[in-house]
Amino acid sequence: MSRQVELTINGKAVSVPVGTTLWDAAAAIGIDIPVLCHEPRLRPVGVCRLCVVDVGARTLAAACVRPCEEGMEVRTDSEEVEAHRRTLLELLLADQPDESARENTTGDDALYELARRYGIKDIPLPDGAAGHPRGRDDSSPVIAVDHQACILCDRCIRGCDEIQHNNVITRTGKGYETRIAFDLDTAMGESTCVACGECVAVCPTGALTHKAVHGLRLEEET
Amino acid sequence: MRLLKAMLALQASEGAVTDAALRKLARAENVPLYRLQGLRSFYPVFREQPGRPVQVQVCRDLVCRMAAGGAPADAVRDVLAGRGDAEITEVSCLGQCDHAPAAMVDNHPVCGGPRALQQYLAGEPAPSPVQSDSLEHWPTDPYDSAGQHYATARSLLAGGDPESVIAALKQAGLRGLGGAAFPTGMKWEFTRKAEGAEKYVICNADESEPGTFKDRVILEDLPHLVIEGMLLGAWVIGARRGIIYLRHEYHAAEQALGTAIAAARRAGALGRSVFGGDFAFDLEVFVSPGGYIMGEETALLEALEDQRGEPRNKPPFPTNAGLNGRPTLINNVETFSAVTTIAARGADWWNAQGIDDHAGLKFVSVSGDVARPGVHCVPWGTTARDVLKRCGGMAEGRALKAFSPGGASTAFLPPDKLDTPLDFDTMQAAGSALGTGAMVFVAEHRDLLDVTLAQVRFFRNESCGKCVPCRVGSRKAVELVEQVQRGESPRPGVSLAALHATLAKTSICGLGQVALLPLVDALATFPDEPSLQALREEEP
Repeated sequence: MSRQVELTINGKAVSVPVGTTLWDAAAAIGIDIPVLCHEPRLRPVGVCRLCVVDVGARTLAAACVRPCEEGMEVRTDSEEVEAHRRTLLELLLADQPDESARENTTGDDALYELARRYGIKDIPLPDGAAGHPRGRDDSSPVIAVDHQACILCDRCIRGCDEIQHNNVITRTGKGYETRIAFDLDTAMGESTCVACGECVAVCPTGALTHKAVHGLRLEEET
Repeated sequence: MRLLKAMLALQASEGAVTDAALRKLARAENVPLYRLQGLRSFYPVFREQPGRPVQVQVCRDLVCRMAAGGAPADAVRDVLAGRGDAEITEVSCLGQCDHAPAAMVDNHPVCGGPRALQQYLAGEPAPSPVQSDSLEHWPTDPYDSAGQHYATARSLLAGGDPESVIAALKQAGLRGLGGAAFPTGMKWEFTRKAEGAEKYVICNADESEPGTFKDRVILEDLPHLVIEGMLLGAWVIGARRGIIYLRHEYHAAEQALGTAIAAARRAGALGRSVFGGDFAFDLEVFVSPGGYIMGEETALLEALEDQRGEPRNKPPFPTNAGLNGRPTLINNVETFSAVTTIAARGADWWNAQGIDDHAGLKFVSVSGDVARPGVHCVPWGTTARDVLKRCGGMAEGRALKAFSPGGASTAFLPPDKLDTPLDFDTMQAAGSALGTGAMVFVAEHRDLLDVTLAQVRFFRNESCGKCVPCRVGSRKAVELVEQVQRGESPRPGVSLAALHATLAKTSICGLGQVALLPLVDALATFPDEPSLQALREEEP
């Protein structure tokens, strides 16, 4: 039997096996921690930072990658933590295209959903889509790539590599200029992509969507 | 290292790492194409196509910007306008701040500005960089002659107790001199106790923060102290293999290390049977494919594992899970050299070198508006005022407006803090940090917005892009401030202090955590600075 660690999350005691992440421990007792880069089927990478929580350290910890430790006292919803999450969402939303292909079709854009939850309407930051458009790639017959909607959460890369073992997608470039790419930065339609659809399935935004459903536009709210 | 070494060899021989070359490499190494694209596009030394025959890299960062009175590349472009064979690229700090404005031509440092570049390119002898304070004998070197090198390790390995080295480091109070100030003795103890079939010792020789160049001088002048410190580390923790991770612009240091490693092998200090005993240890130099972020120790480990140099989430720490998941001792160049000094002379001697209750000797890099920039080895506890005096005071007799005691990641201090003794705690108490000991002095005529924004731009330029706060936050902050600078907006529109707080609290590594610090801190520390007025949240 594996060793257990005891900790409290938002004052609630919880006992989990050694190695359990804070995100999983919180989920086990019904505490939802917002996250964009993590998806339970995938190895967590801790890059969107929305799941940061207060563990009493100098910096906040990303719950999706941080293992639980004995005696930890974790706050997932303090005013400070929520303020930082809000700023992170604003940073991501500042670069989003005017319309999300996912929100308009299947209606499940996770970034938009969080923006609604946090009541974010105006973004007080320079518009990246207008200032530095990132472009799109429509070369694949079935998958549409909108780099502007990509938040570099790494989910498509892990889905392609670790779930499907197709090994096609990478991050290319560095810093703010980073974007996803296929093979040696080849157009998706000319790459070794087999169009399995895993990247579309795990993408949380309108960056990777099925072209087939683009005609099925959801009714717009009036 | 295998893939990156193959790509570095391609870049060196072909002047580029082309698609065709990567397809061939992917087949030979049995790795997917995307993996090689990820590497080629991340590291600045790689290019997809060969460039023009003459590659001129011009530093764009703070100290060179101050020396050039604006963007240094502008003046270089003017002077080299007729040279169709030359390609001018703006690059981050080259670690030659004592000879600002600095540039490199085909990997050769050419310092002194556009005129010197013109001379060099015309085949005339350009003034080569001269170390302004290079001593015949640095006070940290316990040896009078090359014949004595490695005597300390020889005697310790012959029957000493590894724990005694840890005890000496603790007694000397040595802390990491790469900027993070983690207690060295503790780090060695953790790595010694960590369980692993194999362990590694790595020297972080990737100093790249604007204003920092002291490791360059230590590597060139005292490479034997660094190698001996690594050997002692290997012996204490039980490692057989060491790697010096060297920044790619330090060619003279690479040569000095190569010569010193060969000498160490001849002296029996490296090899299958160190000093003829049953302890085996050898080391190699790995030249970084570039980027400031590689000095972040887990990014460095990613590079050594042939990945994009993106910092890891911590814990685990390298002491337990470092290179290839094995316990790894990583220290900075100056730290390893100080270990040798302490092991040779003893902790009591080391402690007696400092002023008052400060212990030891510290290498500082001094640059900016001082009469004689350079590297100095000073007792801990020396005041910033004394350091300035050693450099001949302020250039052209100007008054001091601000100084950064520790490099781009540390806050600027006003002149009334000049009497602060150099130490980690004292600088922190004064409102800044000692960082790497990169002291940049700024004269009264400078615009502090331009100065601090240059530091923030450096971090934006060097962000790896892995996490959202640093990748997007550093970019947006610079855009907001530039909009105000250009008069397009009266104020930033968001609180820069709040944005900084998010980067500081949620970024994965130190780069994002300090990216906005120099500018945001200056808003509070320099309330009367005219250039910063428009950035304040409240109406003036």
